[in-house]
Order: sequence, then C-alpha cells, then structure tokens
Amino acid sequence: MGDLSFRQRIMDLDAGRLTMCYQCGTCSGVCPISGDDGASFPRMEMILSQRGMGERLMGDAAIWLCHQCAACSTYCPRDARPANVMAALREYSIAHHAFPGFMGRALNDPRFLPLLFALPAVVLLGALALAGNLGALPGGEIVFAKFMPHVYVEAVFIAAVGFALTAGGIGARRYWRAMGPAAKGPGAVWGVLGDILRHHTLNRCRDDRVGDEETYKGHLPKSHLAAFYGFAGLFVTTNALAVAIYGFDLFPPLPQLHPIKLLGNVSGVVLLVAVMVFVHRRLFDGEKAGKTTYNDWLFVLVLLGVALSGFLSEISRLAESAALAYPVYFVHLVLIFFLLAYSPYSKFAHVFYRPTAMLFERLHRLAAGQRGQEALRRAGP
Amino acid sequence: MSAEGKIGVYLCAGCGIGEAVDVEGLEKVAASEFKVPVCRRHDHLCGDDGARTIAGDVAAGAVDQAVIAACSPRVMADRFRFDGARTFRANLREQVVWVHPAGDQDTQMLAEDQLRMAITQATRSSPPEPWKEGAFSDTLLVVGGGLAGLTAALEASRTGYPVLLVERSPRLGGHARRWSRVTPHRPPYREPRPNPLEDLIQAVEAEPRITVMTGATVARTSGQPGRFEVEIAHGGDGGTHAATVGAIVVATGWRPYDAAKLGHLGYGTSPAVVTGVELEDRLGDGVTAKSVVFVLCAGSRDPDHLAYCSSVCCGVSIKQALQLIEADPETSVTIVYRELRTPGLAEEFYRTAQEKGVTFVRGTVKSVGAGPTVVVDDALLGEEVTLSGLDLVVLATGMVPNSTDIGQPAPELDEEKLLPLKSDIDPRVPFPVAGYSGEAPPAHEPPAETLPGGASILNLQYRQGPHLPVLADGFPDSHFICFPYETRRTGIHTCGPLRRPMDMAETAIDATGAVLKALQTIRNVPKGRAAHPRGGDLSYPKIVLGPCTKCRRCTVECPFGAIDESDDDWPVVNPTRCRRCGVCMGACPVRTISFDDYSVDMLTAMAKAVEIPDEFEEKPRILILACENDAYPALDMAGINRNTYSAFVRIIPVRCLGSVSMLCVSDAISAGYDGIILMGCKSGDDYQCHFVKGSALAEERTADIEETLKSMMLEAERVATIEVAIADSGKVGGMIDDFVATIDTIGLNPFKGL
Repeated sequence: MGDLSFRQRIMDLDAGRLTMCYQCGTCSGVCPISGDDGASFPRMEMILSQRGMGERLMGDAAIWLCHQCAACSTYCPRDARPANVMAALREYSIAHHAFPGFMGRALNDPRFLPLLFALPAVVLLGALALAGNLGALPGGEIVFAKFMPHVYVEAVFIAAVGFALTAGGIGARRYWRAMGPAAKGPGAVWGVLGDILRHHTLNRCRDDRVGDEETYKGHLPKSHLAAFYGFAGLFVTTNALAVAIYGFDLFPPLPQLHPIKLLGNVSGVVLLVAVMVFVHRRLFDGEKAGKTTYNDWLFVLVLLGVALSGFLSEISRLAESAALAYPVYFVHLVLIFFLLAYSPYSKFAHVFYRPTAMLFERLHRLAAGQRGQEALRRAGP
Repeated sequence: MSAEGKIGVYLCAGCGIGEAVDVEGLEKVAASEFKVPVCRRHDHLCGDDGARTIAGDVAAGAVDQAVIAACSPRVMADRFRFDGARTFRANLREQVVWVHPAGDQDTQMLAEDQLRMAITQATRSSPPEPWKEGAFSDTLLVVGGGLAGLTAALEASRTGYPVLLVERSPRLGGHARRWSRVTPHRPPYREPRPNPLEDLIQAVEAEPRITVMTGATVARTSGQPGRFEVEIAHGGDGGTHAATVGAIVVATGWRPYDAAKLGHLGYGTSPAVVTGVELEDRLGDGVTAKSVVFVLCAGSRDPDHLAYCSSVCCGVSIKQALQLIEADPETSVTIVYRELRTPGLAEEFYRTAQEKGVTFVRGTVKSVGAGPTVVVDDALLGEEVTLSGLDLVVLATGMVPNSTDIGQPAPELDEEKLLPLKSDIDPRVPFPVAGYSGEAPPAHEPPAETLPGGASILNLQYRQGPHLPVLADGFPDSHFICFPYETRRTGIHTCGPLRRPMDMAETAIDATGAVLKALQTIRNVPKGRAAHPRGGDLSYPKIVLGPCTKCRRCTVECPFGAIDESDDDWPVVNPTRCRRCGVCMGACPVRTISFDDYSVDMLTAMAKAVEIPDEFEEKPRILILACENDAYPALDMAGINRNTYSAFVRIIPVRCLGSVSMLCVSDAISAGYDGIILMGCKSGDDYQCHFVKGSALAEERTADIEETLKSMMLEAERVATIEVAIADSGKVGGMIDDFVATIDTIGLNPFKGL
C-alpha cells in the first residue's frame, strides 16, 4: 500500500478532488495525446495518486508528457480534475528531483521568498559597490554599463545560468533514471527538438480534441508559443549583444532600429503579451483553468516582472530619467537572476523535465515501432 | 350445441374486416351451420350504436352468450362486457385480416373457422359459479418481527385489518435492531442515519389491532387462503395457541453467511478479522482503528459460497467506514471491491466516502494473513498488492434467506414431499410425474445444491410438503418479475430479505407491497375470486370423482399445492389455494377435472369445429394452442405489425400450456390436423411461465405423446412445443412458417377424413 501522506501532499497542491476519481477512464479516453502509441494517461496516474504510490509516479514519463489541455478535467464525470492532479504531480516532482534538495523546498515555501530575492540583490549590490556606484547614480547620458559594468553582469549571470544548467541537468538525470532503463534509438533528440520548436504536442492538444466542450486551455498553443519564442528571442538578443560588444566594439545602448535592438524589443513585446495572457487566464478562468498554486503564481509573476521591468528601464532611459532608469534596471537584473538561477526549482523547470520525458517516450516508441516492423518482417508475406 | 344457451353472433365489418373477408359467408356459418337465434353484422361494432345493438338484444332476453367476431379478446374487453350475458370473441382482426391477404380463399376459410371455434366455445361453456362456502377470516398473520414484519404489521393494521405478529425471539426488532446507524435513504443521501427500528417497534406495540406474540413460532399451518388454521407454539411454556387467519406474510428475514467457511479470508485466525455484522456491535461500543481494510464480496458472488450478490454490503461497508473515520479522523480506510454496487442515489453516499478519503481498491482478495495483512490481486494496477500494518479487517459477508428455521432440526420427509423443493432448486431436473399407473417417477441425479436445512417456517399441512418452494439460491418465489410478492403457495406472501437480498429502505417498501397483496387475498377469497394472475376469475377446478383413477398427477403437478389427497387417496381441491391455471386439467389422464367455462371437452370441440379440408385440397391445418399470457399477445402483436404467416393455422388461446391435456392433442390428430404447436412461455431456470411450471410440463407431456404418435405410425415432428416471449412478435410468424414447412416435407396427416 502506498503512502497516504503523499496523496495528501498532492491534494494540497490544488488537487483536492483526487479522491473523487472512480477510475472510469474517461480522462484517458478524451485526452488528445494519450495512448496512441505509448503511455496512456492520466487514468493510471489518478489511480497511483489515490493509492499514494509516489515513488512510481516520480519515475512516470506521463506526468511530463501531459501538456495540460485540461480536457480530462472538463469531461471528468466526477469532477476529480485529473489535469490538476497531473500539474500537482509535476510540481511535486520538480521539488522531488531537485538538486540540491533544499532549493526545491525553498521555492515552494513563501517563508523563503525574501531570502531568495535577497541573494541576487546582495550579489548585485556587491557588484555595484565594486563599480563604485553604491553611493550615487552615474550622471550624464543614461548608459546602464556605467551603472553596472558588463563584466559584472556577465560574471553573475554566467554563474547563475551555469548553476541552473548543472542543477537542472542533475534533476533531469535523476528523473531519467527514475523512469527506468531507456531504449536506444537514433535521431530521437532531433525529433523532440523539432516537436518543441513547432509546439507539435500543444497543437495536437488543441486540434485532436474529442468534443465541443470548452477546455479553458485553448489559448496555450498560441500563448505558450509566443512566450517560448519571446524568451528565445531575448536570449538570442543577450548573446548577440555580447558578440557585438566583444566582436565589433559595438556598445549599448544601440539605436532603436539596429537589428539586435529590434529583435530585443519585438521579443520583449511578444513575451509580455504572452505572459499577460497567462495572468489574465489564471485570474478570470478561475479554477476551471486548472490548478493554481503559490508556485504557479510565483513563476508567472516573476516572468511578468522581468518583462515589465525590462521595458520600464528602457522607457525611463529614453525619457532620460536616471532616478527611475537605474533602480528599475537593478530590479530587472534581480528578477532575471531569480528566473534563471532558480529555474530548476520553479515552474520554469519544465524546460528540463518535459524534454527529458519526451525523449524517453520517443525512444521507447521508436524501439517499439522497430520491434513491430521486425515482427512484420518475420511474419513475412 | 347448447340447448339452454341463447347465442347471438355479432359480426363486425370495421377495421378492414369487411374489405378482407366475405362477411356474408360468415353470416351463413352462424345462421345455417349453427342456426344461432340472433346474427347481426355491423360496420363498427365497438361504436356506441354497435354496443347498443348487442345490449338491446341482451336486455330483451334474446341473447345470453354474445359471440363477437371482431378484434382480439385482448382489446375492447370493457366495451363488450354486458350484464346478463357472457362474451366470447372470434379474433378476425389481429389474427386474420391483419396477417393474411384480403379476399383470399384461405383467409376466408380461416375467418369462418375462427367464428366456428368461438360459437363452439360458447356452446361448451357454462357460467362459472364461485366457491365461497363457509366463513372466512380477515386476520393477517405476519411471521417475523424484524423490520419487514414490523412494517407489514403496521401497514396492515393501518388499513383496518387485525394482525397477528409472531416473532421467534423474545423481543421484536430482528437483526436491524443491532445497527448503530443505517445507510441513508432520503435526501441528501450523504450521511449515515439514525436507526428507525426503536420507533417502529413502539408504533407496532401501540397499535391496538396488532397482537404481538414474541418467543413464539408457527407449529403448523393447514387450510387455505381465507381460512388458514394456524397453531402457534410458545417457546417458553411449550403451550400452543390456535388461530384462523385469512392470509400470511412471511418476513423471516436473513442471516449472515457463515463466516466460519471463509478461512481463506482469515476469519477465525485473528480477532482483528471480523465480519461486517460483528463490526456493527463494536461500532455501537465506540471502536476505533488506525488502519482498516474492508473486504467486499467476502464469500459472495462465489460459486463455492454464495453465488449471488447481496446488494447491501457495499453500502453498509461505506457506512461503517464513515463511522470509523468519524470516530477517529486519522483512520485510514481501504475498501477492496470487485464492482462497487451503489445503485441509484446510494452513489451520493459513495461520494461522501470518497470525499472523506476512503481508498477504493478494485481487485480480489487473494488471502488474509497474519498481522493481519491483506493480499489483493489489484485489477487496475494489474499486480498483486499487499496491504499491511492493519489493525482491523472487515469481511462484508452476504445475506442468506431464512427460508427455513435452521435453529430447529429438519423434519424427515418422504421423497415425494421433497420433490417440489428439489425440482425448483435444480431447474434442469425434469418435473417428476407421480407414481401414475404404478410407474416410478423418472430417475434423476440429486441436485448439486443441498436442500435448505432446518425446520419449515410454517409447517404447511399440504400434500406437497411443509415448505414454501424455493428457487436455486434458497429464496421462496413464484415469479420474480411479474408477481414479486407471491410464493407458490397462494395467500402466503414473502417480503424483505427473505425474498431477495435488500437493504432496509427497500425492505420497508417490500413489506408494504406484500401486505397489499395479502389484503387482496383476504378480500378476494370470500367472493370466490382468484387473486392473480387471473385476477377476478370465478371458476375453479371441479373434479368428478367417478372416472378418477387416483393417479395423483393433479396433486403432484399443481404448481401451487392446491390439491391435497384424502386418506383414501382421492384428490381434494382447496379452491382458494388455486390460481386457475388449469395445470390439473392438463394433467388428468381421464379428463375428470374441468372448470365451468374451461375444459378439455371445450378445447377439443373447438379444435374439431374447424372444417378440415380433405387431403386432395392440399391445405394442411395446423392447430396452435397458444398460452394467453405471452404467446397469444405475441401473435396479436405480429398482427398489429402486419407480420404475415401461414393461413393454415388455427389458434386457440389456453390459460397456460400446462392446462393442455394430451388428449386434446391426440384428438386433434385424429380429427385430421396435420400438426400441432403448443406455444407457451419460456421454461427453465429463467422461466417466464406465469404459473411457474406450465410450459415445462407441456414439454414433458409432448415427449410422452411422441410415443402415442409413433404407435399411430405418425411422425414425432407433428407436435412441437415453441417457447415465445412476449417480445418475440417479430419472430413468431417465422416460427409458424418453419413449422408449416416441416409439415409440408412430412406430408399431410394420413388419418384425414377417417
């Protein structure tokens, strides 16, 4: 028998109707992506969760294969909200696989929030002190590098991203091992990457729906795609800027029509709009939209803060308000640090875990397909 | 032709009859062949004018038997009911013009034969004289003082009838009195409810019309509905008390399945393994537990134990789980089920349990071991799961009907008195025909299922034995679907878990239903009316003892034990036990049993009234003796749906296939019929026969007639029994045509015209 305290912890993550499930399987039946050639979910996840079989769930690929279209919750005859349970399992698994483990707990506990913000604040304040800007803001034309030299920004953020990639990678590896022996197959990584770039699965979640019921997650294929490319655009912008600085001695602020500037602004707008859609849906679709926990809000609000503070610092710079521009820029950097350095523990961790599950599943599918082909060959004409 | 009968024939030309057949030809049959004093035709007989015409003839004294040649006897019965005359029907619509081509010669011949049969029926039928000799009691005896019995007593007394309530134990209340709380049966169906038993007991004790006798049992019951002579034995002083009652409601309830037989589920190995009933007592004492597993279907739906579902254990286990959680919210409860059966609004109760965190595991329990630990073959995970660290395992055992008193030794009965029980327990056992002409009953394997042990509840002084006949699982029943409260002993009605497993809410309703049926008996009997299914029938079997050979077929074959034997072996009819099916009439080898308006002679005369064409016309004639309960309606419905079939058949409705004497069959063959179909209800384990055994008996008897046919050098295929359900109207035409095709292959009856 499983661990009922595990069940309770999942239920506490806004999945309180878990015990109402009577295992009819409607959820797996209506799921647009479940079971065509691989894992069938979320019925089994409901059963395992009800029984408190946490260990098995933490090595279950299905929890990350699910893209949260919420069709299961819409059609569940018992209103057991399987989509909430799946989201709760994901949230739980992020903390479960987290390295180091206390970080997983810290991100889920509001009491640690000041500490989590204090860390980048202190580090960046230290950088400001080194640059001699702790006492007074730089005068003259507003150039953020005068306030926070590039090299400090680079040092802090390369360290933060490096840490995130390492920790996230370790978490993903723990998950990979928990899923059991993986199959081998060529080209699976490229297939997964292609799926992600096209948002193939999310599109299927929208297009392969079984009924006409509103699922409240129809915005996801577009809004998540926007957030994805907005974020990617900003990431490219940042790196292009580094190339511009060190390769071409081209220092920001760049003219508004410079391609890098354009890319940054467009990406920022796209991200901002996408995040605003997320916030709007979370506010106005209420519980129909699915689970909403502390962690969900923390992630989406930090993301919103990053986008807003970025634009506000740019606008105040253009408005030549140094008193506003430099502090906002500082806040912007703190938020980015929060977003990136804590990504293996926040909801952002899906960038580590979801591709891991997709790769695992794809390898199995390919292997199963190969076995099927071989069986066909052996059967012969 | 009846000398005294004043027959009026009324031919209807409506509903397409006039267009399809030559009504003048029919008039000729009535007027010339039968020379009836009154013969009229009308364009729509069921209209006001038509009915007035008939009523006028009856009022003028010109007619006392009205033969209506129109639609089926199953419709317009009220329209064609006249004071001062009896009505006979020739079914020209559903069974002639709606199923056969208009204007065809065969259709016309059929219509004329229908009329001949109806007129013949009138001439061979006398007005039934009801049996109502002597005084009758209107007291209701209720046996069993549990929830069902208490409810029955209260309901009957509130309608104004005196009730005698007999309870074996020293106090009223039965099992249900032990329950700390009960499953909900009114909105919102969410929480366990207080037990209503104490209030019910008080209400019964306060009711002046109810005489309560506790510590008492029924020592013997003789007589018949309206006049049962009952002897009640007091347990304490050994004294007896005699009473006369009109009807009996048996509400002896149930007992839990013997958990001692559930060793594989750990019962008896540890005090931590208890049955649900045992847990009830502990719940009353405020037991708590940390980790509990309920094992549903403990011994139920298991061919080695109880083959059936008791339907209440799921709800009761949920109730107990909720009580345990309420006593200690930290309690972890797992319910292992095969299928959770929470029908109707009990679903709401199930929801409560889910909300309160009860874990439901679908699977079968493989074993319960030390600890205790429960090993479950988990159906959803597809693997074996071990539940350990438990401090309580509850086995939800099923309900066994108290169809006998197992506290008392079973009486020693001769084989013949056990036969009604045995043949019911194993429906494959052919119904034995008693030692007729010195032959032993056919040998058969003893039934696999053991007879219920223990003493009979009522100790009936019936020729067929002291027990209420039971079905395969020991439930006394007569017709589960159509007559749920009837047993196979008229005037004795069962209810509650004795009849089938049910919960307390159902039991209360069931007891009320049984009381209504019992009161029908009490009210009908003094008027000589049959209660069911031939409600209101005044006829009853009359035996002319002169030709009787004391063969005892009637006393053995009566499905309701209505006929006893006198000390010198003569059959003795108890008219109010009778349900008027006519099985005795069909059984009698010397046609000495008949009803005023239904007899072997009448059926034979009707069959012979048909004009049988000689063999050169190549028009076979097939006689269908159709049971009026299912087969005849199915034929009518075939007509309504215009499903055509051969026009060579001649259909006579019978009360039950069991009422068909094989003498009718052999007479019909002698008269020149080429084939005979006995069309009746489904027999066997899931029988549909309204009189339980009628169609099975007909099959037995047709097997016997094969010998007769062979001795006449005739093919056995000429006589067939066809089982028809009322829903088979789409198929019945095909069945008939298949039979006619068989007769075509065999050839016509060589005895034609002899």
